[in-house]
Amino acid sequence: MDRDERIESVKKAFGAKILGADRVRGIPVVTAAKQDIPAIASHMHRASDLRGTLSLQWAVDLRPRLAAYRIYYLFTLSGGPWLMLQTELYGEDRLFPSITPRIHAAKWYEREIRDMFGLIAEGHPDLRRLVRHEHWPKGTHPLKKDFSWNHVMGRQDGEYHFRQIEGEGVFEVPVGPIHAGIIEPGHFRFSVAGEPIMQLEVRHFWKHRGVEKLFENLTWAEGVSLAEKVSGDTSFGHSLCYCQAAESLLGIEVPPRANYLRSLFLELERLHNHIGDVGAICNDAAYALALAHCGRMKERIMQINDSLTGSRFLRGLNRVGGLSIDLPSDQLDAAALALKKIEEDFTDLSKIIFNNASLTDRLETTGILKERTARDHGVMGVVGRASNIDRDVRRDHPFAAYDRLRFKVPIYRYGDVRARLRVRVDEVHESMDLIRQALENLPVGPITNAALPAPQPGDWALSAVEGWRGEILYFVMAGEEGKIHRCKVRDPSFVIWPAIQFAVLGNIIPDFPLINKSFNLSYAGTDL
Amino acid sequence: MFRIIQKSLKTGIVTGNYPAPTKSERPVPDAVRKKASVFGRSLAIREVDTGSCNGCEMEMNALMNPVYDAERFGIHIAASPRHADALVVTGPVTVNMEKALKDVHAATPDPKLVIALGDCACDCGIFKGSYAVTGPVERHIPVDVKISGCPPRPSEILNALKKLQGRKP
Repeated sequence: MDRDERIESVKKAFGAKILGADRVRGIPVVTAAKQDIPAIASHMHRASDLRGTLSLQWAVDLRPRLAAYRIYYLFTLSGGPWLMLQTELYGEDRLFPSITPRIHAAKWYEREIRDMFGLIAEGHPDLRRLVRHEHWPKGTHPLKKDFSWNHVMGRQDGEYHFRQIEGEGVFEVPVGPIHAGIIEPGHFRFSVAGEPIMQLEVRHFWKHRGVEKLFENLTWAEGVSLAEKVSGDTSFGHSLCYCQAAESLLGIEVPPRANYLRSLFLELERLHNHIGDVGAICNDAAYALALAHCGRMKERIMQINDSLTGSRFLRGLNRVGGLSIDLPSDQLDAAALALKKIEEDFTDLSKIIFNNASLTDRLETTGILKERTARDHGVMGVVGRASNIDRDVRRDHPFAAYDRLRFKVPIYRYGDVRARLRVRVDEVHESMDLIRQALENLPVGPITNAALPAPQPGDWALSAVEGWRGEILYFVMAGEEGKIHRCKVRDPSFVIWPAIQFAVLGNIIPDFPLINKSFNLSYAGTDL
Repeated sequence: MFRIIQKSLKTGIVTGNYPAPTKSERPVPDAVRKKASVFGRSLAIREVDTGSCNGCEMEMNALMNPVYDAERFGIHIAASPRHADALVVTGPVTVNMEKALKDVHAATPDPKLVIALGDCACDCGIFKGSYAVTGPVERHIPVDVKISGCPPRPSEILNALKKLQGRKP
């Protein structure tokens, strides 16, 4: 179906309620008044020709250009194309209708918008604070334009009310924010009767650092290094997504060589994270042997990263317009040789892992995320592909050099820990193959397009990258004097965290670390 | 079983297979060295993340892999601050983690060392001044050792810890 037909489908259903329909950089955008949003969003979500998943919902404070807030809804339709919906709140209007009762995936987005902008989603079933912990003073909404980035916050008393289950023999087990291993802070509140988990509530945002506000102080070129620090393990994925958004906005053409190298580095990042995860998942089922082997393979890849680029995390590499360094072919060949050895090594190890019956017994049927639950939450990425959600940005919205590379997207149906492990193992082999292809076809030429034109204030662009966890999204809007007006960052973790609350139900608490590891979500990328 | 043994034999010993760090660490002040000497040649570390990007966590984890194997120097990760000789703090200390950091520090038995790991923990790095950040670490708890880098390489962390223990690099 042609993209314009999608707009027509919405127009046909709603007629005069559609105030405008436009295409911005290829993305169809429908504008409507706020009271019509729930019905239109619901149509985009349910209509048989659209079947959209809510991929992102975010707000922008349009001041000083216009005294209004704009709220955007991004739907990923079946097969991958995007459809956007937007509405505006003028003047002192602070209320907009919630779509959460109809579209579950909006749950956290609307709470986030309330915390960051003070805009209230009317009809939302759960308006407790999300990002702002209870000690933040009333009225502190950091992304409003009249809130300064270096505001010094006071403290107030307050209490967060967890959802409670009461009854004979029901206990609450609080875990965190500081955990036993070397992991990031987050709070988990379990309600149990005996061993099985009856309810889990995830309380996050301990690490909220104000990333989105800090972007608004930066120029386009400066934003790259902040994007690298959104989630350290996905440094390259985030900086790539940011750069693509900026390049699309500024109208910069990236040279082919840089595109191939970007694909190569993104796959390197996927490799070291996936191999590390395979080991860590096995280790949480007490199979330490796999951790030791995977630990050394992951380390080897990070050393390759370091020797190629001078950074184990591939930092300082991306820049708006291309890459900052080029690599000589002998270095790349040496890296390819080393990777080939690691692949053989990893193949041996995966045979050992999957031949171990007691390990399989722990992994199978543990932490099942049902396909229906995954769809309702808009889950994608590794976790989604283990629950039969066939989405991959590299195939659906090709970026960098992926339109010229061949690869398979592994899909598993069971949604348990083992399926998530299998997706990772399969993707390791696909990544190795992608790197080989990228090196074979690597074009010669420049690696950067240096000119940075100034965009028109108010222009925006959207970009997606399939990081190793899943779909990373960046929305950027241009401000005055070459600054960033708004940068909405969405790590896949933000979407998948609420889903983990359902995957653990009926499992025992001692299996939670294993389930959590098989998701391996970023806390920093969620909290921002 | 045969396959597992074969794999281990084929792999051989990988410990120490890493390039030597090029960055020289700051010398450890005598007072800190003296404080650390009570722990002898073992050091139990509790790692506390107060808002890092998780790069530092990845490198701390790497420290325990077979390549760096920090355990061979008596360095191990404790699961609770109650069991720790030293706190390794990463990240710029967010407003939401400030209280948790102070609680952890209070829960760690004396004598204790505090190590600020990474640029964010040392001086808030790129997050300096943000409304959501109240750090750096030394604003809230006394810091004995700073290890800079974004993030510091595992070899650099290991060298700094060895220096603290009074071992030769």
